[in-house]
Amino acid sequence: MQNENIIEQELLDLLPKDRKTDPTGKHLAELLARIAMKKVPVNSFSRIWTLGSLQAQVTAGYLGYWLRSRFRNADEKQRLKSEAHLSAALQLFGAMGYLRGAVMKVGQMLANLPEVVPEEFAEVLSALHFEAPPMHFAMVREVFLDEFGREPEEVFATFDRQAFAAASLGQVHRARLHSGEEVAVKIQYPGIASTIKADLRNLRLLLQPLCLTIDWQDTLAKLADIERMLLMETDYSQEALFNKLARSAFTAADQVVVPRIYDQYSTARVLTAEYLPGCHINDFLATDPDQGERDHFTRLLTVATYRLYYRLHWLPADPHPGNFIFMSDGRLGMIDFGCTLTLNDEEWTFSNVAIQAALERDLPALNLSIARACRFNDPDDMEPDRLEVIRSGFYWFMEPWQQEGLFDFGDRDFFLRGIDNVMEAARKGYTRSLPMTIWSNRFTFGGRAFCYKLKGRCEFRDIYLQESAGVQPNHT
Amino acid sequence: MRISEQSKQENRARILEKAAEIFTGKGFEDSTTRDIALASGLAAGTLFNYFPSKETLAMTMVTEALCQGREDFLRRCTGKEDLAEELFLFIASGLRRLRPLRPFLGPVLERSLSPFPRKNVCQEGETARLAHLNAVQKIIGRHGFTEAPDYVAMTMYWSLYLGILAFWTNDPSPNQEASQALIDYSVRMFVRVISGSGSDKGEAHAE
Repeated sequence: MQNENIIEQELLDLLPKDRKTDPTGKHLAELLARIAMKKVPVNSFSRIWTLGSLQAQVTAGYLGYWLRSRFRNADEKQRLKSEAHLSAALQLFGAMGYLRGAVMKVGQMLANLPEVVPEEFAEVLSALHFEAPPMHFAMVREVFLDEFGREPEEVFATFDRQAFAAASLGQVHRARLHSGEEVAVKIQYPGIASTIKADLRNLRLLLQPLCLTIDWQDTLAKLADIERMLLMETDYSQEALFNKLARSAFTAADQVVVPRIYDQYSTARVLTAEYLPGCHINDFLATDPDQGERDHFTRLLTVATYRLYYRLHWLPADPHPGNFIFMSDGRLGMIDFGCTLTLNDEEWTFSNVAIQAALERDLPALNLSIARACRFNDPDDMEPDRLEVIRSGFYWFMEPWQQEGLFDFGDRDFFLRGIDNVMEAARKGYTRSLPMTIWSNRFTFGGRAFCYKLKGRCEFRDIYLQESAGVQPNHT
Repeated sequence: MRISEQSKQENRARILEKAAEIFTGKGFEDSTTRDIALASGLAAGTLFNYFPSKETLAMTMVTEALCQGREDFLRRCTGKEDLAEELFLFIASGLRRLRPLRPFLGPVLERSLSPFPRKNVCQEGETARLAHLNAVQKIIGRHGFTEAPDYVAMTMYWSLYLGILAFWTNDPSPNQEASQALIDYSVRMFVRVISGSGSDKGEAHAE
């Protein structure tokens, strides 16, 4: 019990206090006490990861703080009602299994508003992924018996008992085919789809205090889109199709490699792909690469992602660092296409009209695109400040497109301006937007955070011109 | 006329085969020993020489499947499994053998394995329970426990196992994958209880 009190005090010290309404943190302490007292039933994933850790409580506290700040100007009655709801809703945070890893990272980021530094932002973004519990080998074997009717060692010549990487929905094991090829076998945790659905239900409850704000419908639409994308990710046969299309988009000269998929050893729950030897970004940086190498991989990453955008109308929306492999022969490996958004014709046209308007400095057309992206009919329907903030974010996005010669993605000021804009929009509540913007933002910020970490440069404008040349405005 | 041991065995096997078909087709409750005898080409009275009741008949299938499951488990076990993993392998191997019987298993298990006090204890059910718990004790013994778990721990295990069985017989997910997750969590929970070890409190997420 004493231990709990210490944790609570420690937690209170760590959490930010609202300088105006709660300078001593008394309210916050009460809120924490209420959270600590109550228990909610948790789903199965949480039996392994409980809300007991200080880290998880800090995140829960930060989320609470952030949600409360949305009601700073509301009347007292409304604020209390929201707080009561909030304290109950926060409990649910502890009940989330699959999404909690991601929510905790977001919480940490919100926590540091507005003093967040670019390095931290890049770190949070890179760690922002979803986690399933690890599977022991006996469970992997059961999945194999169900999917192939045989044990892993029968399906493959060799099969590593230990996973070598965690995947968002399961884990990856190394194996060798009877024909000798080295492969990476991704296996899905059984029943993950129902956990995702339960988590999203909890997330909606967690955010319920926002239900009276004007953007609640917008939040619901976005959560629905997240659920749709996550559930799509649970179908590995869909991912295999994406993977094959991506593979066909590159030639040897591109130095971008998408691994081959082995259909014979793949199902909706198991995906077997060629193993790409190499390392991830942190190991690459540990070798202290020179500027030439950094620029080289920045160029490959840019070509790879914009090739998929222009040729296949895709947003590779999971730019997780684990999905890029620095190969020793200088090629860039790209894996994991589970979270890929295919823009429909309307979204594709919409996206390019905005880019074109910015490139041609056609302000009325750009304003109209921005209004539409923010779900307004007309720029005049938006508060001038909202239009201004969102537009400057879009200008930031377009900077590399407009600069001749090398663009330095490692430039701290450039990256910082992008973060500042996101933070300003979040702080002012200018978050209403089309669901596709979740994925376009993840694509843009994920890619830029990666290149920032890489401290790399590339001739972005040339790449854009090269990749967009000859591209039809719509699928033909 | 005395019939040979061989034809006895053949009759027994045929009854079990036909009974499985009838149970699957009509459900356990709506099947009668008469249907089964008829399908097996035997007089109803003769059937009782082999199996005294419909429950015993069904439970014999369960016992045999679980026995095969234990053999599968011993064959599949590599000796590298930790306790939770080995228990998972044991339970999953048994369920895999029970899978063909799943369509009619709910009422059978409810009658024969019910932990509540009953007038007529199903002997086959009791045999299955003891064999299962005995195997579990052996597994636990292989993992460095000097004493057998006490009745509280074993009762807890049996409750979890019955819970898994009940859920599994009614699990609509493909390949009963939701049950696999349930076995995973149940086993981890049981191992934590008998090991007295703490939980991972989410540090993995917080790195």
